[in-house]
Amino acid sequence: MTKRFGETVAVDRISLDIIGGELLILIGGSGSGKTTTLRMINRLIEPDEGTIAINGIDIRTIDGIVLRKNIGYVIQQIGLFPHMTIRENIGLLPTIEGWSREEIDSRVTELLTLVHLPPDQFMDRYPKELSGGQQQRVGLARALVMNPPLLLMDEPFGALDPLLRRQLQDEFIGIKEDIGKTIVFVTHDINEAFRLGDRIAIMHEGGIVQLGTPRDLILNPADKMVSDLVGSDRLFEHIASLTVSDMMVPASSIISGEMPVQSAIEVMVQSGSTVAVVRDRAASFFVAQLPTLLQRRDEVKTVLEATDPPFFLSMDASLLSALEEMKAASASFGLVMEDGEPAGLLLPDDLISRLV
Amino acid sequence: MVLDEIAAVWINYNLTERTIEHLWIFSIALIAAIIVGVLIGLLIYRRRRYAPPVFSSLNAIETFPDIALLVLLIPLVGIGTVPTIIACVLYSILPIARNTYTGLISVSPELLEVGRAMGLSERFILLKVRFPLAFPMIAGGIRIAIVFTMGIVTLGGIFGAGGLGAPLQTGINLIRPDIIFVAGIWVGILAVILDGIAGGIEASLKRRFGSW
Repeated sequence: MTKRFGETVAVDRISLDIIGGELLILIGGSGSGKTTTLRMINRLIEPDEGTIAINGIDIRTIDGIVLRKNIGYVIQQIGLFPHMTIRENIGLLPTIEGWSREEIDSRVTELLTLVHLPPDQFMDRYPKELSGGQQQRVGLARALVMNPPLLLMDEPFGALDPLLRRQLQDEFIGIKEDIGKTIVFVTHDINEAFRLGDRIAIMHEGGIVQLGTPRDLILNPADKMVSDLVGSDRLFEHIASLTVSDMMVPASSIISGEMPVQSAIEVMVQSGSTVAVVRDRAASFFVAQLPTLLQRRDEVKTVLEATDPPFFLSMDASLLSALEEMKAASASFGLVMEDGEPAGLLLPDDLISRLV
Repeated sequence: MVLDEIAAVWINYNLTERTIEHLWIFSIALIAAIIVGVLIGLLIYRRRRYAPPVFSSLNAIETFPDIALLVLLIPLVGIGTVPTIIACVLYSILPIARNTYTGLISVSPELLEVGRAMGLSERFILLKVRFPLAFPMIAGGIRIAIVFTMGIVTLGGIFGAGGLGAPLQTGINLIRPDIIFVAGIWVGILAVILDGIAGGIEASLKRRFGSW
């Protein structure tokens, strides 16, 4: 879809599939079109070209008011109505829909509990009696009141101080698991995007530069801008989202256990690797290290005799937990297995040089 | 004794009845002004392009001397209570309408955005969001109108409207400073009291509905 404001093209022919139940981040600088894109989803802004469909239904065929009642909306400025209590703010739509007072009270109680505000203390207070963080929790509770399947959030934590922002993000991750909704989340904070997003769409000058999971963006940035934004050259910042397979060295060749040590040394020196995977006759895998081979070249005949039992890792294990396990087992490298075959090696020395 | 003299003037010139009469005219004029003022404020909120000409006209009325306005109204509606009330309303429309309009349009944009995004209708937003949040502004306009109205009702006494302007007129005609003094001070005290009450109401509305 495309949206123009006068001469300016705010959103330029973007196409986006949002998967049910995911948290999709729209990230970009100011003027990148992220907020405009968000507002077109609930028709606060109508696109000039293109269509938006929810569950296959073109949203232009849905009455705007009905559509918006079924889409939760949270913004940075929160926008609690200052003349209404917290109960009235959260219960506004249910009141219009004609719920009974008891139903409204129990829903408000439920939601305030969800966002970690004691209901009996907060129900009857006015927004200005609440801190910014508390107000934003109420803002989220209000957006959830009609149990909408879709939630739009526009930099909801942007106005909070860093400490509080982090705390609310953590709480939000928990709440997100509980409510299981599709969420479109606008931010300009890449750390927030990585913490919260299932997928991230990077926007620039009205277009989507790249869309992918945090790992996709880190490991395969589409261009220099994406790589600068996500910090592809500072991988250590993203260590929590990396898996073993991202950082392993592919197992180039597998040496047979019967190979003479001298030939094995030559093979390894030629391929420039210091660690090699060795297979014995029983198809078990071992690891040979070049320094050990050099040290023991005169004592042993075959490679197998100079190998160590490997520490096995699986491809999709998280990098951090793999490193912890290796540390606990005092293993200096790990053999990464996939479907019973060696896929690669995790070498801490090499890992450090790639992370930094 | 001063108090005896005040009491004598008060009784001889029926100041209790005059006060009731004065407040009666004042109330009618003020209520009429609030209704007309708020309605005009609402109408120009709905039709923004009429705001500049309407406010220019109301400003023009405001610059017209009140005594001249009362004289001009004589051929139209004669003398007495009616022209006084009309004059009061004409002067009070501007502050009330202007503050209503300003209050309605100055609701912060994020509240309107959230309201729309929640699926509230424009009508609901106007009645349940814009208006309540405009209350403190409207009250401020009414407070200005109270001061205007008090002065014009008193002036209307000269043109047979009754109220506390009547004993003042008598005092001027008879060259009796004591009557002028007692009635004049009393009108002043009344105005201060009413303004104080209005100020209190305005402050409490601000606490309840004020967003800034």
